[in-house]
Amino acid sequence: MTGDVWVVLPLACLATGAFIVYLVARLLTSRNDLLALVTALVFAVALVALAPLFLITRATLSTAEGLPAWGHLGEGGAFLRADPGGLVVAGVALGLGLLVALYSGRYLALDHRYETYYPLLLLLVAGLVGMVLAADLFNLYVFCELMSAAAYVLVAFRRRLATAIEAGFKYLVMGSVGTVIILMGISFVYRETGTLALPQAMGVPGPWARAGMGCFLVGFGIKSAIVPLHTWLPDAHGRAPSSISAMLSGIVIQSAFYALLKISLGLGFPARGLGTLLIVLSLLNMTLGNGLALVQTHTKRLLAYSTIAQMGYIMLSVGIGLRCDVPWAIQAGFFLLLAHAAMKGLAFLCTGVCHFYCDATRITELRGTAARMPLVAVAFSVALAGLAGVPPLAGFAAKWFVLTGGVQAADALGYLGLVAFVVNSLLALGYYLPLIGTLFTRKTSEVSETSEVLPQIRISPWMALPLVVLAALVLILGLYPRPGLALALPAQAFIFEMLR
Amino acid sequence: MNIETVWLVTILGAPLAAALLLSLLRGRGARMAGWIAGLAAALSLASTFALLPALQRGEVPTLGFEWIPAAHIRLALHLDWLALPFLVTEAAVTLMAVVYAWGYHRPDERTPFFYALLMLFAVGMSGTTLADDMFLFYIFWELMLVASCALIAIWGEGERRGAVALKYFIFTHLGSLMVLVGLIVLYDATGSDSFSSLRAGVTLAPGLVTTVTMFFIIGFCVKMAIFPLHLWLPDAHAVAPMPVTIMLAAAMLSMGTYGILRFPLSIFSPAQMAPFAVPMMVAGIVSELYGALMALAEQDIKRIIAYSSVSQMGYILFGLGTLTYDGIAGATLHVIYHAIVKALLFMCTGLVIRATARRRIGELGGLGGAMSLVALCTAVGALAIAGMPPFCIFTSEWMIFSGGFHTAQVGLSILTLFGSLLTVAYALWFVGRIFFGARPEGLTVNRQPWAMVVPTVLLAAFALIAGLFPAPVFDWVAHGLTLILGGNW
Repeated sequence: MTGDVWVVLPLACLATGAFIVYLVARLLTSRNDLLALVTALVFAVALVALAPLFLITRATLSTAEGLPAWGHLGEGGAFLRADPGGLVVAGVALGLGLLVALYSGRYLALDHRYETYYPLLLLLVAGLVGMVLAADLFNLYVFCELMSAAAYVLVAFRRRLATAIEAGFKYLVMGSVGTVIILMGISFVYRETGTLALPQAMGVPGPWARAGMGCFLVGFGIKSAIVPLHTWLPDAHGRAPSSISAMLSGIVIQSAFYALLKISLGLGFPARGLGTLLIVLSLLNMTLGNGLALVQTHTKRLLAYSTIAQMGYIMLSVGIGLRCDVPWAIQAGFFLLLAHAAMKGLAFLCTGVCHFYCDATRITELRGTAARMPLVAVAFSVALAGLAGVPPLAGFAAKWFVLTGGVQAADALGYLGLVAFVVNSLLALGYYLPLIGTLFTRKTSEVSETSEVLPQIRISPWMALPLVVLAALVLILGLYPRPGLALALPAQAFIFEMLR
Repeated sequence: MNIETVWLVTILGAPLAAALLLSLLRGRGARMAGWIAGLAAALSLASTFALLPALQRGEVPTLGFEWIPAAHIRLALHLDWLALPFLVTEAAVTLMAVVYAWGYHRPDERTPFFYALLMLFAVGMSGTTLADDMFLFYIFWELMLVASCALIAIWGEGERRGAVALKYFIFTHLGSLMVLVGLIVLYDATGSDSFSSLRAGVTLAPGLVTTVTMFFIIGFCVKMAIFPLHLWLPDAHAVAPMPVTIMLAAAMLSMGTYGILRFPLSIFSPAQMAPFAVPMMVAGIVSELYGALMALAEQDIKRIIAYSSVSQMGYILFGLGTLTYDGIAGATLHVIYHAIVKALLFMCTGLVIRATARRRIGELGGLGGAMSLVALCTAVGALAIAGMPPFCIFTSEWMIFSGGFHTAQVGLSILTLFGSLLTVAYALWFVGRIFFGARPEGLTVNRQPWAMVVPTVLLAAFALIAGLFPAPVFDWVAHGLTLILGGNW
């Protein structure tokens, strides 16, 4: 086991952290806020441990040497390899995890069972980080399973609610089918190449590898909610505790998409074909996601469908970049991923606050939020307006970048995708705006004539802090997208390195 | 950093700072909110005028630095003659609307947010005229929409305000998206986001020129509320609180005109624009006639004036569509004069509503004696909008018609003349039915706050002065047109 120890450090932090948090919860304290603090600390340490990797990978990319890797399980094999794209996804997951852990410091008073929740949250992120940094298919599979298993349990965390159990079970069944298909794909690839190492680049794939590719597409398609394999998502993201929905919608499905991207390009699947496929699928994702979001009555289900649509935007941008060889479009895709994690995370955390204090799950129950919890109403509006692509928020900057990337491509299918994108962003206003309007309505019910005077609710700082941080991030990324673009640049360069 | 840059920053910075300050003060600033906003608006207007000497010396005040280098986006502001008339109009209307709001708006704990949003609305409009970069332009363009929509949704009158705000947002955002597509195509063609590279010239495939121009014109026509894209306007104007209506009608509608002047007209050559001339003129006439007819048919006095905007924007589009010097100069002048007169008429309407608490024209009448000053001002506004000399709109209409008769479409030009007859009809009938005749039973007249009366009287005076001495304003517009048209017209 040799190599760059930095690569394994974040993962080690998370895994050890999960163990420690469990022990602390069982032996030392059962106070929610302390456990949240310890969990947040673990995330913070992992984030700090991840930071040097950004610098190392940036240096290695420019010198065209190998990426930092760790562990030798066989000839030329490695356990983990830090690639820039994976680092971006892992960094987002850790950052979001940190905020979610803090947020749970109050929010989890709804559910208790802290000793299961925090370790599972850490394991979810550990699986995610391992999956995007894995250097061979075996590890990728194991970590993917770890992430999924944690996610299944967390979705069904409210075990007294039949709907939560149902959603968790549905997710479990579909997700397991997905992982089995991935496993099948791995065996096909092994049949052809005789190795599990995730190749950096390969020649023309043979028939078995192509069959394996098909399996990966379906398996990871389920995990990243590519229409028509998305059916588990609205239930799972709608029924999970809001803090978990924030993680699942914000980064988990995108990480599966990144894994798909990395594997297919690594196996030598032609970029043009993959790009075309992604554009076509993105049309479905956007249209179906936005169309169904329009008719939702539950806030979280609405946000879940919006995630399907936003996933479509990411796929569109990456697809255009791959199909037409436009680096800028891929960079825009990664920027959108960053922006979406902040916006969707914020939106789910806001619904969580409304659920916590006002027991509001339906959209109509959100009336009067502005009068009772002005901070939440403003933060929620920032998230929704950002998702709708209203300037000067991060969603708009991302939209601008995706559009410029698409126009640069000058490609018929790309234009079709852009038209769908623009039409869809108009369609999406149809549900984002009324939701914002509902937040600022003073009447608490449809029938009451007068606006009631509602008492102000003081929000716990555990919940307020993540909201403020994310809202500020959405605004800052919109007005000053340079840091986001700077993160996305090496990721884009890495993808193109794989195409050469 | 020279003094011009400081003024340039102040135009945007003063309202922006006021908005931030007011949001921070929250309930504590309820009493001072109006004064803070008024001061900021006055400062913004003063800075605009402070830049006039520099422009007259032939300088172009600019400010710019790198913002997002990866996407070639700069944070660049730039004031030229083309933007100046719009900027002055916007700043002056904002100041008037804020002063009017002192009387109109009863202070409560949300008042600071009201003024803060008014200030953001103003920032959006002046930013749109000052932006020298497409990304920045679009940000300001949408800020204008977001701020005004929030004002309508929160402080609008009536139960339907949420629905109206939604309709307003979706309609105008549809227009904005068309503009966005146009901007992105131009960005792709020039490889840069800056307007300066656009001014240097753009080469596009002929088919693309047609498409982009169409997108721009339709997109900006939504903002101008040209028939049949006007559907958001009557509702939004009728529901919005009066100061917001004034800013919407007098300043925001003209941003559509600015967009058409700035993008298709400045960038593409007259030959490339020629296919759009007749459609623009026809759309203008249809809008003009439709707006005037609806104004005649409407019962709500605020909606009458709102439809009059649809009609007046028709004149402007007609003027632009003539593609002649006279027509475009007339259209630009009309933007300024229409702003004065429309603000005046809405202020008078607001005063009538405030004094009587009635909005239906059938329930009003015989107010001339009790509200003689307002009656006089309304009469000035009505005569002005009907194009009566010596009030200001006479000059601009003259120019627009003259532009029309310089083209081959004399028939269309005669139609516009006919349309102005309808304008006379609804304007005079409006005055007649409110201020003359018998006063209906139970119609009482309350006192009107001075803060609402003073700007009204000022604007009525302006409408006369601008009509008697059109030279200075005409001078600005002429400078702007040489920027667009060059010497070859």
